[in-house]
Amino acid sequence: MNISPLKAYLRPNGSWGLRNHVLVLPLHSALSSSARAIEEASQGAVAITHDWSGEIDADLERIISTLAGFASNPNNFATIFLTLDSPNERRIIERAESLGLPNVVHLSLADAGSMHKLVDVGILEADQLLTRALLQERIPAPWSAIVLGLECGGSDALSGITANPALGVASDMLVDLGATSILGETTEILGAEHLLAARAITPEVGVEIVNTVLRYESSINYEGIDLRGAQPSRGNIEGGLSTLEEKSLGAAKKAGNAVFTGVLEYAEVPSAHGLFFMDTPGHDIEQLTGFAAGHVNIVVFTSGRGTPTGSATMPVIKVATNTPMATSLKDLIDLNAGTIADGIESLSEVGNRIFNEIVAVANGKETKAERGGHHEFSLSRLYN
Amino acid sequence: MRKILILHSSDNVAVCLSEIIKGEIIEQDGKKFSALESIPRGHKIAIANIDLNEGIIKYGERMGHATSRINAGSHVHVHNVLGDRLASSDS
Repeated sequence: MNISPLKAYLRPNGSWGLRNHVLVLPLHSALSSSARAIEEASQGAVAITHDWSGEIDADLERIISTLAGFASNPNNFATIFLTLDSPNERRIIERAESLGLPNVVHLSLADAGSMHKLVDVGILEADQLLTRALLQERIPAPWSAIVLGLECGGSDALSGITANPALGVASDMLVDLGATSILGETTEILGAEHLLAARAITPEVGVEIVNTVLRYESSINYEGIDLRGAQPSRGNIEGGLSTLEEKSLGAAKKAGNAVFTGVLEYAEVPSAHGLFFMDTPGHDIEQLTGFAAGHVNIVVFTSGRGTPTGSATMPVIKVATNTPMATSLKDLIDLNAGTIADGIESLSEVGNRIFNEIVAVANGKETKAERGGHHEFSLSRLYN
Repeated sequence: MRKILILHSSDNVAVCLSEIIKGEIIEQDGKKFSALESIPRGHKIAIANIDLNEGIIKYGERMGHATSRINAGSHVHVHNVLGDRLASSDS
């Protein structure tokens, strides 16, 4: 059990990729169609697009961290940056290099001379990088190679008793073996922050967890919304939830019972192994993007309603909270945790299945989201 | 088929996986008791006697406290539980 069965791609800075992508990343929204054209012409390359067009405002640092972190995710063998050659675009590329991105290609529109030429050069570069990426082999990797992101979206009454705590079992097993696991969604842990803080490795980390929630809460109260007073809602109570702590624990149990090693800013790369909390919004795709930018290399996403959401860089494993949805959305769902509510499987049995699926996907098994080509990306802004 | 789900070994409540009928005997995971009242699916049942002000433990964590004595087999909900931080609201 303690000998890792993992095989992964070793990066020069010592991190591990579970995939070997060639990413095409426009650093200005005006270059989105060029990125798509390169992706379409290059079998195996993957492009993302976004709506940032160089604005210099209060969200600039968050956007730079997000794009640089995403570009340098260890699952990327290389990133082809398309730019208008602005100073901030150059900062993003430099940051990505300093975060360990091994292969960098910078194509500026001015150097290319025209949009057509930019695409042509991009296709040539992508072709060469893809050939090199195919030559790199997976080698035996330690458990610490896994950086797991824990996500839930479209939750239902069963989320808190099936998929989420079962994922917590798998997360605890991985953390125990030396891997890293990251819980996000500050909105979701509100009300249980004192319980998570009690599991912090040091009192300082506990204070950070509580302060992260308080900071979020005061920004919401500023808008006249009292989140605690309205929870749990009438619908939650009808479903059987009695306290806000109970509701929040239902989401936070994705992270099991392990000790919290630290708190990360949105898009921050952890500098140690263990369980972390990342300050992310509740929005699924913004959270996934923050995880990718924080160098998460594999995600488990629990859902009650089902969602196609995936990532250009991280494999995303979907776990259904209920059997009817798992049955009806077979092309989206990788695993069914609804068997716990059906009384057929125990929490630890499903937790073990999730653990085994994480290992299989880490070693190359395709997820439903990968097969479906789901590559959602969204920049998270605080001010604009 | 399991009737109840105990989420952690230190819990004093379990989640009902189907509707529990008053008087029903629940024998599972080394525990045996009878339901003192009918409890809807998804709601909680006490699997141990819980004293007034004692913590309600689910997921191995304290999700609130008892506002009255709760006997094993009772429905555990807003009528006998309060969050430690805040009263839960019925509105």
